[in-house]
Amino acid sequence: MGTLALTAYVLVWPAIVAAVLFFLVRGFVKDWREAREEGRSII
Amino acid sequence: MGTESMASQQLSAPVIIFLLVLFFGGTLFMSVMIGKKKENADGYMNAGQNIGFGIAATSMTATWIWASSMYASATAGYTYGISGPIHYGLWGALMILFIYPFGRRIRAVAPRAHTLAEVMHARHGRSSQLMLAGSNVLGSLISLTSNFIAGGALVAMLSPFNFTQGILVMAAGVLLYTLWSGFRASVLTDFAQAVAMLGAVAVIIPVVFFAAGGPGMFEAGAQNLTPQQSSFFSSDAFLNQGAPYIAAVLAYAIGNQTIAQRLFAVREDLIKPTFITATIGYGATVIGIGMLGVMALYLGMEPMGGDVNNLIPQIATTFLGPILLCVFFIMIIGALASTADSDLSALSSIMMADVYGQNVAGRKKANPKTMLFVGRVTMVVATGAALYFASGQMNILDLLVFVGAMWGALVFPVIASFYWGKVTNAAFTVATLAALALFIPVRFEMLPDNIAIDLGVDVLSVLGIGVVLGLMAFGFFGLKPALWIGSIAAVVSAPFAIGFLHDYHVLSGSLVAYSVSTVVCYLMSFRNKKDFDFALIDQRIGEFDREESSDEDPTPAH
Repeated sequence: MGTLALTAYVLVWPAIVAAVLFFLVRGFVKDWREAREEGRSII
Repeated sequence: MGTESMASQQLSAPVIIFLLVLFFGGTLFMSVMIGKKKENADGYMNAGQNIGFGIAATSMTATWIWASSMYASATAGYTYGISGPIHYGLWGALMILFIYPFGRRIRAVAPRAHTLAEVMHARHGRSSQLMLAGSNVLGSLISLTSNFIAGGALVAMLSPFNFTQGILVMAAGVLLYTLWSGFRASVLTDFAQAVAMLGAVAVIIPVVFFAAGGPGMFEAGAQNLTPQQSSFFSSDAFLNQGAPYIAAVLAYAIGNQTIAQRLFAVREDLIKPTFITATIGYGATVIGIGMLGVMALYLGMEPMGGDVNNLIPQIATTFLGPILLCVFFIMIIGALASTADSDLSALSSIMMADVYGQNVAGRKKANPKTMLFVGRVTMVVATGAALYFASGQMNILDLLVFVGAMWGALVFPVIASFYWGKVTNAAFTVATLAALALFIPVRFEMLPDNIAIDLGVDVLSVLGIGVVLGLMAFGFFGLKPALWIGSIAAVVSAPFAIGFLHDYHVLSGSLVAYSVSTVVCYLMSFRNKKDFDFALIDQRIGEFDREESSDEDPTPAH
């Protein structure tokens, strides 16, 4: 693998992690809002 | 000693105490916020079976990422080179993905279940249930011990405190916030722990990469890698790291109650997005951490004391400043705590539902208050037991690999029991025991050195390859494609596998467990004229808190 490909190979994982984290936080906030609107505990 | 003295210069005792108070204080606060004066036994085990995508996916991701998986992925990168982390993290991630279609089926036939073993009780009876529950307990206890050891080692390495103080703090912290609300606390606190972990991974890997020299390290350090380590298609990495993991993909998911518990807790229509998100989240996080091992290899680093488990902390202390070192510390604590609290919840659920609920009091007579008491006592006892084992610093990863391979004996009987009405309790039990009886001598090289025996092991292993790939295909595509894929896999692999696979004892032991359990279970079942009515499972499993007395007891006779 070339230097550029290896660099991309190493750095792509934290980028994916950041994207997943965004979706997880967004999902949690949505769950929390729904629970609050329905007047129940989030869990 | 050198490790401790070097690391103690990085984080002082007051800083470590502050971080531990911040982490465990925060999780305890979250737990208190959702605490109820009167907890509900079902909620303690499955949180009402109605949790949303955000919490479920976060919890699944956080639970599956444990401290040892971070260490092991970095070790794979350091040992096998650039493909090493893929052969660790990708297959671990696929464990979540491949169990998803089976999870939907399990949830459809047993919508109100608490544990997988409880469903086996409803499907077959006591022996099948206790075999599965026993293996779940063993796995969770080993996992709990491993996480305490990881925490103790981390504290010993990064602070002036010693290993024993470290494991005591970890155990007390996790028990404190999990004890009262059980699974509900475990799932909610997983959110904070996942945010800490994933956030840290997203920042730490690029920081280390550029601090270590950036792209230039690949040119300067290329001579530190062997041709196998430089190859993305390394056969060494595949045979020693990847292949045993592929074989274990289904076994870990079936044998691990923490995954089943989340399967029963998430809202049924959210199972698919939850499992897919957790697959990507786990894979990217663990493979990403593995890149630290790859970088260490390029940089020509030697693990402190020759112990590869020191690699990650060593990289952290070398390339991270004080603030990011604190973030790193929280990342590892988050990884171990999120898995340890899940293990405690899993253990308590098994003791509540499978031991007390089904076998001591009986489902109809089970008292929810007593169940809660049983669950909490289980958590305390399990923590004590894990502390005892952790203080001995046993080689936990070896034990886990052993248990993971052993779970291979259960995979076909468990999965077949959810789809094929002909499988009986006797077939389940005998198939599992027969597979274990052959697995142990193969795994521990107890068989005499004999060409015929080696050939027999190879043939069974090839069958096992067919079973593993067939089962994976079955979950997604159904029976016919599964039979084709399994058969083709066995035929194609036979010329390469027969003659040498018996030398890879971990892999062949696991494959033999798969094949023997499948063959015996099939042979004992296919002539059975009775076809099980799967609708009975839902009738036989109910909510312990809302159970109303009924004249008819649909529990199977034993």
